[in-house]
Amino acid sequence: MNEAYLEIRNLTKEFVSEYQEEQVVAVKDFNLQIQKGEFVTLLGPSGCGKTTTLRLIGGFENPTRGDLFLDRVRINDIPANKRDTCMVFQSYALFPHMNIYENVAYGLQLRKLPKGEIKEKVEKILTLVGLTGMSHRPVGQLSGGQQQRVALARAMVNEPKVLLFDEPLSNLDAKLRIRMRIFIRKIQQEFNITSVYVTHDQEEAMTLSDRIVVMNQGEIEQVGTPEEIYARPKTRFVADFIGKQTNFLTGEVVEKDGGKVKVNVWGKTMTFHGYDGFHKGDQIILVVRPEMIDLSPHEGTFEGKVDLVTYLGSEVIYEVASNDQLFTVQISNPLKHGLYHKGSKVFINLDLKSIYLIKE
Amino acid sequence: MKQRKVIVSLWLLVIFVFVGPSIGKAADVLHMYTALDPNEAKVYIEAFIKDTKINVEWVRMSAGEVLTRLKAESKNPQVSVWYGGPSVEFIAGRKEGLLIPYKSPVGAPFLKGNLKDPEDYWTGFYFGAIGFANNTNFFEKNKLAFPTSWQDLLKPEFKANVSLAYPYTSGTSYTVLATLVQLMGEDKAFDYWKKLEPNIHHYNTSGSACVTQAGLGEIAVGIAFSHDILAKGTSKGYPIKGSFPSEGTGYEIGGMALVKGGPELELGKKFIDWSLSKRAQELMKVWFRIPLNPQAEVAAGATKASDVKLINYDDEWAGNNNKRLIEKWRQIIGK
Amino acid sequence: MTKSKRFVAYLKRIPSDIRKLLKEPFLLVGIILVNLFLFLFIVLPLFKIFQLSFEENGHFSLGIFPELLSKNYNVQPLIHSLTLGIAVSILGTLIGFIFAYAITRVDIPWKRFFNIMATFPIIAPPFMMSLSAILLFGKQGFISKMILRDMIQFRIYGFYGLLMVETLTYFSTAYLTLYGVLQAIDPALEDAALDLGASKGKVFRSITLPLATPGIASAILLVFSQSLADFGNPMILAGNYTILATQAYLTIVGMYNMKGGAALAILLLIPSLIAFCLQKYWVSRKSYVTVTGKPSSARIKLDQPLTKYSIFGLCLLLTGIIFLFYGMIFFGSFVKLWGANHTLTMDNYKHVFTVGWEFIKDTLLLSSIATPIAGILGMIIAFLVVRKSFPGKRVMEMVSLLTFAVPGTVVGIGYILAFNQPPLVLTGTAAIIILLFIFRDIAVGVQTGIAELQQIDPSIEEASTDLGADSTITFRRITLPLITPAFYSGLAFTFVKCMTAISAVIFVVSGKWNLITIAILGSVENSDLSQAAAFSIVIIVFILLALWLIQFLVNQLGRGRKLKFEKAEALQSI
Repeated sequence: MNEAYLEIRNLTKEFVSEYQEEQVVAVKDFNLQIQKGEFVTLLGPSGCGKTTTLRLIGGFENPTRGDLFLDRVRINDIPANKRDTCMVFQSYALFPHMNIYENVAYGLQLRKLPKGEIKEKVEKILTLVGLTGMSHRPVGQLSGGQQQRVALARAMVNEPKVLLFDEPLSNLDAKLRIRMRIFIRKIQQEFNITSVYVTHDQEEAMTLSDRIVVMNQGEIEQVGTPEEIYARPKTRFVADFIGKQTNFLTGEVVEKDGGKVKVNVWGKTMTFHGYDGFHKGDQIILVVRPEMIDLSPHEGTFEGKVDLVTYLGSEVIYEVASNDQLFTVQISNPLKHGLYHKGSKVFINLDLKSIYLIKE
Repeated sequence: MKQRKVIVSLWLLVIFVFVGPSIGKAADVLHMYTALDPNEAKVYIEAFIKDTKINVEWVRMSAGEVLTRLKAESKNPQVSVWYGGPSVEFIAGRKEGLLIPYKSPVGAPFLKGNLKDPEDYWTGFYFGAIGFANNTNFFEKNKLAFPTSWQDLLKPEFKANVSLAYPYTSGTSYTVLATLVQLMGEDKAFDYWKKLEPNIHHYNTSGSACVTQAGLGEIAVGIAFSHDILAKGTSKGYPIKGSFPSEGTGYEIGGMALVKGGPELELGKKFIDWSLSKRAQELMKVWFRIPLNPQAEVAAGATKASDVKLINYDDEWAGNNNKRLIEKWRQIIGK
Repeated sequence: MTKSKRFVAYLKRIPSDIRKLLKEPFLLVGIILVNLFLFLFIVLPLFKIFQLSFEENGHFSLGIFPELLSKNYNVQPLIHSLTLGIAVSILGTLIGFIFAYAITRVDIPWKRFFNIMATFPIIAPPFMMSLSAILLFGKQGFISKMILRDMIQFRIYGFYGLLMVETLTYFSTAYLTLYGVLQAIDPALEDAALDLGASKGKVFRSITLPLATPGIASAILLVFSQSLADFGNPMILAGNYTILATQAYLTIVGMYNMKGGAALAILLLIPSLIAFCLQKYWVSRKSYVTVTGKPSSARIKLDQPLTKYSIFGLCLLLTGIIFLFYGMIFFGSFVKLWGANHTLTMDNYKHVFTVGWEFIKDTLLLSSIATPIAGILGMIIAFLVVRKSFPGKRVMEMVSLLTFAVPGTVVGIGYILAFNQPPLVLTGTAAIIILLFIFRDIAVGVQTGIAELQQIDPSIEEASTDLGADSTITFRRITLPLITPAFYSGLAFTFVKCMTAISAVIFVVSGKWNLITIAILGSVENSDLSQAAAFSIVIIVFILLALWLIQFLVNQLGRGRKLKFEKAEALQSI
């Protein structure tokens, strides 16, 4: 087990807002160990505390309780400008009165590096981000994507121990966002820089991260690889937040035999394998993602009626009403199976191997 | 770097400004307040500087304002000499403990009686009688005769056409008030003034301002000292002619005094001596003031004491009742 | 959280705020110094006035007020001041509205020209209008005598004269306020009304006017305060229509009745403070528009010929009047002896540059010293208020803005009360004049600074910190360059205010230091109108030079930003 490069222990941050009526606990008892070179994303809805956590790491806020260690050194008392972290801000925060070169060179100049060395480093990084030959351009004249790359260059050129990203792509249009996130990931891997990335966009998180930290109301819901988070969510929140329109069924464990459990849902019994921790009588939630449901006109576990059809070409999304619940079903390559219409009677078949069980 | 220089020089400037004034300037500078018209005071003061090589810094205010300023500064007097203004104001000043006595050897031979303070707290150096400054165009156009009595001023023809100063800012105007009180008796005097009110266009702070206003035709009659009427009116080219009230008019002995605690009292003494010299007194011809030094020439056309009927003006009484009369005036007239 | 709980939470924050401050000693010292200055030079003088008025034999007493108000010669000015203030504010706002509406909503030509003319009175000495009124409508006036041949006798001394000159002087404030408000109303709102079938007139009545109402109320209150505080114009033109500001002055300077003068000052202060608080804390909060908002689309302008030409004509008329007034002064300055000898001559300028040279030198010197200090101090306060957190911050901000609400006369009296005795004897020195300049104008710098700082994305400064800079370096290399253009704007306005100050400084001039504005008043009192006119022109020339110089410096920064007199800067009373 490698010792963590960036370690966060029991981190708590409370705000006393002047205008709100009560104390806000933005981050509660946050524990995380990040390895060197890892790309970790803090993912969650607005207000979940991910940005606060990022800012705590960067030194822009002071923790109410808890400790931060970077490369085995406790950094709580080190002010932001002396920490070896660099942030890429959501609004890029480029200095409007300076050109590209001056922006990128800023941090290096503060460290009093020789002019020649600065020039070399700046030009190298500008080439890396694809902005060669533009050093003298004032930043006000740049497009959103270009500004983003300058912000990235400015942070990276200082070779910080940890790179922090505060939703850097949220101001870009969809296509550019996809291009930029691939770019960021490539660069991060090439230089093996430890990175902490904040976003509310789960697709972004899934594509970029080695591990994802799903946060909700200041607390960690689950830490895991994208696959772990998606396939084996630990809480209903995670299951709901990740993925498109997850379906939830409730059921009761009627029989347990080692890792094999039998669950009763709406009168039907289903068998699952690999759940050692459950007991007979447990109330459980079944996480059924839309792609885990198959439809048949003749037979299946539950009977239902198609309520809405959304045809997207490569797939079709059906909303099927069954047992007083509305299921979202995703069928790929619909032309192969044929389309159902609104009002059609269908049968729902569940892919028991993929469905995941959560204890309530 | 450039910013640093700017900041440093700014700080130097600030320090200089704050410390500078305390650094004494050239030793020989006399500070004074004067109630004389600034254009006139300039002449005398520059002559003094030329004659004695002593530099002078001066501010002009009406006599009442000088009195107030000296009171305000009494804990830290800024000037050494109060130059010009009717004796009543100086008497008030002496009462407030703002002056110190000085008997000028130059004036000793001719300053007798009411020409100086009995205990030398102030020294007289000119005489002036109160008169009326009349705009000749107005009188011609309206076919009227100049006012020759206080009662004349009450005539309806002069509605909103008379002007003078506030008795509490101006020595001139206070002299008028004191004169009326001594002439008619206190109650009758205030009655008179109440009757005069509708004829008054407005009040100035400076006593001689009404002369120029009459000259410009803004009003028909200004009540002021004769020398101001001549100097600022007639001789300047305005259509002004003076007239005097037949019942009797008041007058001023213009004075000067040393300010208690003033910074350059020795220089102040020199100034007072100089002002009483023949040379200095003759300079007053430019303003038609009547000099007290019998050796000095008088300007042609100036109004001498013998030219008008003077009341028995008790400036001592006027000075002692300054506060009371003014307060009563403010109450009754309401300004 | 109840108020008490919130206060307790606030108190709990204090130790940690202080601990953070102790880590940055420069900052701490800076905060202490700033608060010390503000206390000494803003709070103390005001306190002295209150102390003098409310103290009777050593204890608190309101006795001075019944005594004051029983005297007719105090009640009259109070009523006059209020009446005049209300009249000027309404008339001035009306004129300001006409200009603002014409420029933002009507398709008339020469908009830039009208904009300049409507803003010009702000940089001119405020009492120039009175001087001009005499030159035009006095018994020897150009219009009364030359044009109308004495057919009409104008009553310019008194209420009507003051109403006219104060309206012409202060409508610019209303104009700037209303321009901002009208400009910020989203055109989509008016378009929607049109789309739904409203006529242009109905749009005005049911949409534009109601949305502009808080702005109109603001303008009225601001002009009211300015009229109340006006000193120069009434000194010249009030005649028998006595008003509070001049009465307070005469009571002190003419009668040495410090207590009476101080009490009058408080009578003057109360309506001003009320108007200020109403404007800042009630009306501006009710605004339906954000003044800094940019319209989402271009605005359709009214272009019906009847409307267009009548409004254009109206603007021309008003502009013509303004031109006439200022032009008269220019002409009058070349006249030998106004009223008696109308040959043209340069004599007056000769007088100005010889006898008056001391005045010019002193005024320029003192203004030039005070202006940068006021600007820098204002910026520092703005920075502390927006970016730092420490106990008493809100109080500090309020105090620095206090001078917006206090008429100059009141401040002047406070200064002579506070600084004519040990330990701080400053009467008679340059220092007291400079201090008066600085702390009268500091509110401008603070307001401008706050507005500008709030527009800077805080993450820019965080980025600087993130990249390794400490507070000082961040301030110097990032914050300062970004606020510099606004800083220069504030400087320009402060310089104008210093050059044209009169109502406060008239109490503190001495033999050693004298100001042009006071020389002008003296000349006018002496009826040396041509001289006064010449001095006025000289002031304007110097102001224009300074503005040009500052614009030049701003351009040197390469940002090409134009100086703009924003609403905040117009709100300074004299």
